[in-house]
Amino acid sequence: MVELLAPAGNLEMVKAAVENGANAIYAGARGWSRRRDAYELSDEQLHEAIAIAHSGGVKLRVAINTNMQSCEIPALLEKMEKFVGWGVDGAIVTDVGAIAQVHHRFPHLVLHASIGANIVNNQDVKFYHSIGVTQVVADTKLTLRELVARKADLDTGIEILIHANNCYTYLGKCWMSPYFRLERTADDFGKDLFRGSPNRGGLDYRVCLEDWELFDGQALLEPHIALKNEAFFYLDDIPALIDLGVHCLKIQGREYPVPLVASIVRFYRELIDAYLAKPTGQAFDLMPWRLRLEAIRAERDSKRSNMTSVLLNEARQPVPHTA
Amino acid sequence: MGAFELNTTISNLRDLRESDLSAYHAVYLGNIYCRLFEDNFLERMDDLKEGIARVKDQGLRAYVTSYAAPRNDALPKVQIALETAAAAGADAVEVHNLGVLRMVHEQFPGVPTHVGGFANVYTDVGAEVLREYGAVRFTPNYEISLDEVAGIARGAGIPAELQVHGKMPLGVSDYCFLLEYEQHWPEKCPVLCQKQLFLKQGDWAMRSVGKGVLSGKDLCMLEHLPALMAAGHRVFRIEAAYETPEYRLKIAQIYRVALESALAGDETVDESAWQVIREHTAVGLCNGFYFGRTGGEYIGKHVEAAAAC
Repeated sequence: MVELLAPAGNLEMVKAAVENGANAIYAGARGWSRRRDAYELSDEQLHEAIAIAHSGGVKLRVAINTNMQSCEIPALLEKMEKFVGWGVDGAIVTDVGAIAQVHHRFPHLVLHASIGANIVNNQDVKFYHSIGVTQVVADTKLTLRELVARKADLDTGIEILIHANNCYTYLGKCWMSPYFRLERTADDFGKDLFRGSPNRGGLDYRVCLEDWELFDGQALLEPHIALKNEAFFYLDDIPALIDLGVHCLKIQGREYPVPLVASIVRFYRELIDAYLAKPTGQAFDLMPWRLRLEAIRAERDSKRSNMTSVLLNEARQPVPHTA
Repeated sequence: MGAFELNTTISNLRDLRESDLSAYHAVYLGNIYCRLFEDNFLERMDDLKEGIARVKDQGLRAYVTSYAAPRNDALPKVQIALETAAAAGADAVEVHNLGVLRMVHEQFPGVPTHVGGFANVYTDVGAEVLREYGAVRFTPNYEISLDEVAGIARGAGIPAELQVHGKMPLGVSDYCFLLEYEQHWPEKCPVLCQKQLFLKQGDWAMRSVGKGVLSGKDLCMLEHLPALMAAGHRVFRIEAAYETPEYRLKIAQIYRVALESALAGDETVDESAWQVIREHTAVGLCNGFYFGRTGGEYIGKHVEAAAAC
């Protein structure tokens, strides 16, 4: 049975995801996941989120998927000790060292290799499996055709992002944003938030979405260059993904408003259920779903566009330097 | 290895033939970004064999690199390149992808493996895992600081290789946006990406090489070499995959002299060296993330030189 995995950028979103049909939820530990701290949960909130999720029969995975510093690994393990004690159902991790350490300390905990691990081929999957990972998030460039060709060779679970951004560069292999602005700020617990680095602190200024001009030396070649970075929804491929036996369909969006995330979760819950309920051999008409998704897409695009403007403006602000 | 190693990157045989490598100790062969790069060593095995032989004939170490993000369909070619590298006596292979690291570890256990900058080494415990997979050297992820690098090398017990000059990698894609526009331009793939293409907006600039995004500014650690030496680092790279043979030579001559001076305890760098640096930089200089700051910043005594380019 395919699992619908929903984002939780705050406690209200945890409740909304549970109420709207998610099978599992992921939430970031504040300072430790690939989103800015405003969309992460404190330890106490994570404790409460686990309880809310479990009371609704839903699993909760904690995202600890920044590329942290070596000196932060002991603090990470301390946090995980708490989360495991509270019954967290799994952890989403990027750094190979962190994966190995968490697996060594908590051998029965389900570990997911994050999108930040940028797993692009089957040998990659086997590598991560060998250090303790049981599920991997497929990169956003993976096509259905490639997935079909790859899946037979794998015994590791694959998570497919059905709502996410398809960046110009590979996620986890891009440091354009901190090249233009990196602010080193520690939170109350001493965790460096690396503001501006999506890999290290989660905040990405989306500089790729700037209106670039292309120069050949000093000569202007093109006045407007758009590096592709599009938010997408999967629809047409959902039936095929379910038929293929994909383990998990994952929705990104911790940074979006709760009602929008709730509507996305509800949409996919009902789509999956409708497809699974259809008699074998009967065609499945996606047209009504397409129409319904358009309204959600319009709202998402509006929110995303506003956020991008704010982030690009923030990227131009000077960095306050401490001595 | 001698007292230190200075190395660089060359993508194809033509560039290798045209380059004076007398200031270097080692060369990485191949272009990590794109399979369509003009006559990429990683796609032309006869060229790769000849390239390895040419480098070794000059008394230098020949390393063979591999793709930054190879999808499944590229792995057969990667496999052939690894086989060729091993058979032709390459001194090491460089891997940026952990799946490829696994391939080398299982199939070519005798070939020394350098882990490249796209392999995302951020922690000492991460480097330890890769060492267990055969890594004997690592290039840290480009966005970590020198303090972190030192800790990783110490903790994992393998040396770091540091880029000390050239455009710093900022990202890699599976898609080349230049192909959308090339019909408007006289140059086409596979030579288009070798032009001096810069994405600019206001005072921001990045070098575009199609599937790769590089810093607009040249990372320059010339005045910081004594500190790097004092911290125990001995392996340095001039990143020049998309630069001219002249750039590769002139910059290397400066660094070779400066590194030998630093090793001898002399921290002075001739002012004429800065003039050459300025002449070979289109946008300016930066220190990357080595000092824990925004990657495009330059920190040091030569701020004016860095900005005046």
